[in-house]
Amino acid sequence: MAQGATQGREPGTPRLSLQGVTKRFTRPGGEQSVALNNISLACEDRTFVAIVGPSGCGKTTLLRVANGLIRPEEGQVRLGGKAPRPGPEAGFVFQSFRLIPWLTVRRNIEFALEELPLSAAERKERALHYLDLVGLARVEGSYPAQLSGGMRQRVALARALAVEPMILLMDEPFASLDAQTRELMQMELMAIWQRNRALVLFVTHSVDEALVLADRVVLMGGGQVLDDIEVPLPRPRFGEEVRASAAFLELRAYLWGRIRDLVLSDPASDFYGRDPAAAQKEASA
Amino acid sequence: MDSRALSERTWLVALARVGFVGLLLLLWWIASLSVSRNLIPAPSETWAAAQRLFAEGRLQSALLESLTIYGSGYGLAILVAIPLGLLMGAVRLLGRVLDIFVYALSATPRVAFIPLIIVLLGLGFEAKTFIVFLGAVMPIIINTYAGVLQADEELVEMARSTGAGRFRIFARIVLPGAMPYVIVGLRLGATIGLINTVVAELYTAVAGLGGLLSIYGNTFRMAEYFVVVLTLAAIGVVVTELLRLVESRLARWKKDL
Ligand SMILES: Nc1ncnc2c1ncn2[C@@H]1O[C@H](COP(=O)(O)OP(=O)(O)OP(=O)(O)O)[C@@H](O)[C@H]1O
Ligand SMILES: [Mg+2]
Repeated sequence: MAQGATQGREPGTPRLSLQGVTKRFTRPGGEQSVALNNISLACEDRTFVAIVGPSGCGKTTLLRVANGLIRPEEGQVRLGGKAPRPGPEAGFVFQSFRLIPWLTVRRNIEFALEELPLSAAERKERALHYLDLVGLARVEGSYPAQLSGGMRQRVALARALAVEPMILLMDEPFASLDAQTRELMQMELMAIWQRNRALVLFVTHSVDEALVLADRVVLMGGGQVLDDIEVPLPRPRFGEEVRASAAFLELRAYLWGRIRDLVLSDPASDFYGRDPAAAQKEASA
Repeated sequence: MDSRALSERTWLVALARVGFVGLLLLLWWIASLSVSRNLIPAPSETWAAAQRLFAEGRLQSALLESLTIYGSGYGLAILVAIPLGLLMGAVRLLGRVLDIFVYALSATPRVAFIPLIIVLLGLGFEAKTFIVFLGAVMPIIINTYAGVLQADEELVEMARSTGAGRFRIFARIVLPGAMPYVIVGLRLGATIGLINTVVAELYTAVAGLGGLLSIYGNTFRMAEYFVVVLTLAAIGVVVTELLRLVESRLARWKKDL
């Protein structure tokens, strides 16, 4: 997936760059909301970028802009030096799984491979390979309605991975997995990423997950980048030693605090002005 | 649910249906005894009338005549309505321009057009077929159109993200997603088409099952009249059951393992 990664670009230019990008939505009432507010971000090839931030801060919108599903009103987006167009260059794991209900699990994956120069047999083989990777080869003939939520999420993951894209856009891909499956999937994703080294944009609500996986954690709030942190922890980070290390705990406490403040103090937040500490005191009194 | 429980359930439904038919026959029989004999024939009389009509060949020829009209009108309606509904949904401008006319036309009682149709097409096959067509075509257009419009935006965006073009998205996402709606339209169209077959046979040249209805109704031959009514009901059952079969085939993915 990474071969040809630098093709057609000056060496050293980022794989993905956003410059002064603004995206507004008109709510049904006609009221405007700014999902991305003059945001700038550059991501190098072969990096794993986690994006964290409170609900509604524009994370999903950022991913959709990055592969050209939507066009911003202002600013410039470049993916591999060109304006992004949706296609197999990017793999997208959607927050809602978006499986095609009338296709079997395997055919759902093959559907995403149809724009690639593969024969039907190769598509099938690749679909089965990635299904096996997420532990679902045995349900290849089932329909999505027959799977649990966590299984559907893994199918959606396999579908994006199977494309073997140069950039993976993942919108809370592990949110509905149990803790054990989640860690297994994290490890699997790490293994794949270390083999292929695509650029990954990984949206998550879990600070721990961000710190375990990412080279870089981008903190978003109100449609802007508020902080951009290199994660200096040694890999692999799945062991307890890393999670218990001072560097990990410090970063974790810092990000937690920032996000918590954002949720409570941002006038645009759903929980603006609430003081959970006071609420707790009241409850225990 | 496992398939054995499912097939047991199917058997139960079939058995209950047979039981229900028995109940209806019983009620019919009681009604025939209590209401003045001329108005409601006993089941046995009706059966005798059916055998008589069958032996004379009148039932078969009327049935054939009606089915020809029904089939032609309904078939034509399908051929026109599905492509038109799809086109209206796919080309939004076309849909926006046309949909109000389709709704207006479908709200107008079709009987209102019959005099005009007779003037234009006469009393024969063409006029009758057209009356059936006119009844069946509207619900199919409207439901097909609605099916395309309600296409799952999230799935469409997913398909777009894989690089699928407009045509592939339409063929693989929008069209299959619209199928349940199309089937509903087909079912409504089948019912209205059957009604209009009888209406056409009553209002234009009297013929077919509708013709028999009017003959036996006007001469108070109620046993024969009942035979025709039951035949029409049977056609309705067969057609809607066939469509239900198609539907459950198409919707296999909704079923549990
Ligand atoms: N299609 C849309 N129409 C109208 N408003 C939208 C649309 N998509 C996003 N928005 C608005 O843009 C803002 C950012 O939305 P976005 O989905 O990017 O948030 P998010 O960070 O992904 O949130 P979450 O963590 O809850 O998924 C929100 O205020 C949302 O209401
Ligand atoms: Mg989101």
